[in-house]
Amino acid sequence: MHQVGVQGRLEPLDLRITAGERVALLGASGAGKTTLLNLANGSLKPDQGRVQWRGQPIRTLPRRRRMEIGTLWQDLRLIEELTVSRNVNAGALGRHSLFWALRNLLQPLERRDCLDAVTRAGLEPALMDTAVSRLSGGQRQRVALARLLRQQPLLVLADEPLSALDPVLAETVLNGLLNQAGCLVSLHRPDLVHRFERVLGLRQGRLVLDASTGDITSDAIACLYESL
Amino acid sequence: MPLRIPLKPALPLWPLLPGLVFPALLVVLAQDLHGGGLNLLGRFALAAVHPSLDPPVVASLLKGLQVTLITALLAWGLSCLVGCVLGLISSRHVWLLVNGTTTGAVLVRRLLAPIRSLHELIWGLLLLQMFGLNGWVAVLAIALPYAALLARVVSDQIDSRNPPAALALQRGGAGPGAAFVTAVLPSVGPTLISHMAQRLDCALRSAVLLGVFGLGGLGTDLVLSLQSLQFREIWSGLWILALAMASLEVLLSRFPTAMILLLLSAALPAGLLWGSTLELDLTPPQLADLSVFRVLDGAVLMEALTTTAWPALILSTLTLTLLASAVAISGPLLGLILVPGRASAHLQRWGWGLLRLFPPPLTALLLLLMLKPSLWLAGLALGLHHLGVMGRILVEELDRNDPRLSQALRCMGAGRRQTWLMGELAPCSRSYLMYAASRCDVILRDTAVVGLVGGAGLGWQLIEALSSFHWAQVFWLVLAYAGLTSLGELLIDRLQRHWACQADSL
Repeated sequence: MHQVGVQGRLEPLDLRITAGERVALLGASGAGKTTLLNLANGSLKPDQGRVQWRGQPIRTLPRRRRMEIGTLWQDLRLIEELTVSRNVNAGALGRHSLFWALRNLLQPLERRDCLDAVTRAGLEPALMDTAVSRLSGGQRQRVALARLLRQQPLLVLADEPLSALDPVLAETVLNGLLNQAGCLVSLHRPDLVHRFERVLGLRQGRLVLDASTGDITSDAIACLYESL
Repeated sequence: MPLRIPLKPALPLWPLLPGLVFPALLVVLAQDLHGGGLNLLGRFALAAVHPSLDPPVVASLLKGLQVTLITALLAWGLSCLVGCVLGLISSRHVWLLVNGTTTGAVLVRRLLAPIRSLHELIWGLLLLQMFGLNGWVAVLAIALPYAALLARVVSDQIDSRNPPAALALQRGGAGPGAAFVTAVLPSVGPTLISHMAQRLDCALRSAVLLGVFGLGGLGTDLVLSLQSLQFREIWSGLWILALAMASLEVLLSRFPTAMILLLLSAALPAGLLWGSTLELDLTPPQLADLSVFRVLDGAVLMEALTTTAWPALILSTLTLTLLASAVAISGPLLGLILVPGRASAHLQRWGWGLLRLFPPPLTALLLLLMLKPSLWLAGLALGLHHLGVMGRILVEELDRNDPRLSQALRCMGAGRRQTWLMGELAPCSRSYLMYAASRCDVILRDTAVVGLVGGAGLGWQLIEALSSFHWAQVFWLVLAYAGLTSLGELLIDRLQRHWACQADSL
């Protein structure tokens, strides 16, 4: 159980995501989607209960295991003072030492891997050495995706990754996420749920919908967005 | 897309790079180590928890503190008053509003540059020769460079604001004064008042430092106690000073703007009134016999110019500056990156507070208890004091950081040190670097106060020349010092402008 926004709390829920599963998370604003994702990546501590990753409590995972879960934050959380390549390389910090991080600040390392992630995220390679503070909103979104790809997580948690993106860019980002081993993606786009295998629906902090995509009806989705 | 690119250090790496000086510093100082004073240092450390509480000692220290506070208060009030006026008449925008050109502003700025380029200690020693021992000597020694410095801050602040707003008002029929008060003052006022509040703390430190060099107050008490190895008395003085500084910091941080303005306007009368109760000589200073300056003819001046070892003096001044700057800038960062964690950060904050408390000459004298005098020791002593200042700046910058970035990095699997480097240092690296650059400027001026230890630097030579009444050399040394610090100021200005517009790397 956990407080959700200013409106209420995330009610007790029992949820298991299996390896390689692609899950869409739906719900109106303030329903608890971000809270659920933050509990899932360990950045929030539940008031009660447990959150585990492959049998181990999420908040006590060693750092090499922590990097098995990747998050695409709604506010992106890029390092404004650094270039695209150094931001993308931040995704690989979990595999390396402080010395590597310092060397990366001296000269961007592992350029080939970095370039690969940038290309897969649909970003122009020419932007590799541009500071992220100079990029447009869409480009920044793709830098965050490239960082996630560089991290190579087993599970991706994405918090409204398609908001404020044009349809072409939204498709690129969604493809990038769906090509990961497994993902839990919070969306405001019910029209995209057919791209996922399973759909979760939150309403006022309560998990009211958990079904495979084939079993979902439009009424069930509409119910999530109905006002009380 | 080339896969190999040339070395291009990112902004967060720049403040760490000077840390490379530490291994060299350790090697050199290890060679200079002597065991003679280790016992004394141990006694000094123990005295920290067992300061002297003898009533005559405490009474004397409290009187010294009052003299220091009065000096600081008067110097602060005077420098703020004069600095604001000078700032207005050295602002390009003000000149544009008044007569449509900026020539006057440039001229006033150039005239003020040499005044702020001299350290308050040098001003103190010069004024002492001119006016003899008088309470105003220390006040003016602080107020002169501080006023010139504040003038620069005031004019920079005004000039960094949007001029068309004021000019548009003027074109609409408003007078220059009304246009300035309406369009410029509301935006610069709060920043300037906050800056002026901080200067009171600086004035207090300067007053202590001048005391160390014999101009009275708590600094004089501290150095006399150290010379007679009365460590418990030193610690009584240091704790009293710490208490005064902490109270001042708390008061100023909690005071609303209006209260600071009230304190500012009352500073001069309050200081004078307080001084009269202590029988402090605050009568108008009289010019002493200046006939000694008559010997300054061309031949004497030329001889002083040619017989002074300029390259060695300038080189040692710059070396001292670089050494101290490296220690000061990278010290706090290395401390936090090598020993991360909340408890360690708290401990380090305390350590920085202590380092700020010790005037650099006092630190140098303490280090001399276990190290031989050298340029390196002088650099370390100066660097440690400024490390305390930079540590405080760093904490303020870190407190402004958005914690969500560090949280994201931790979630990605970054270690504690990596998270600190990329999530804490990186976002504030630009402002830290900008501040570090201006600190180098201050350190260059401060070389005067520790040069004595290494027997090096222009400042030390100047103090020697003043002590031996070698006026011709004093003349050239003041010029050289002013020239060097003005050059440093110019260079730092350029660096700051470069960093301000550079997005990632240099």
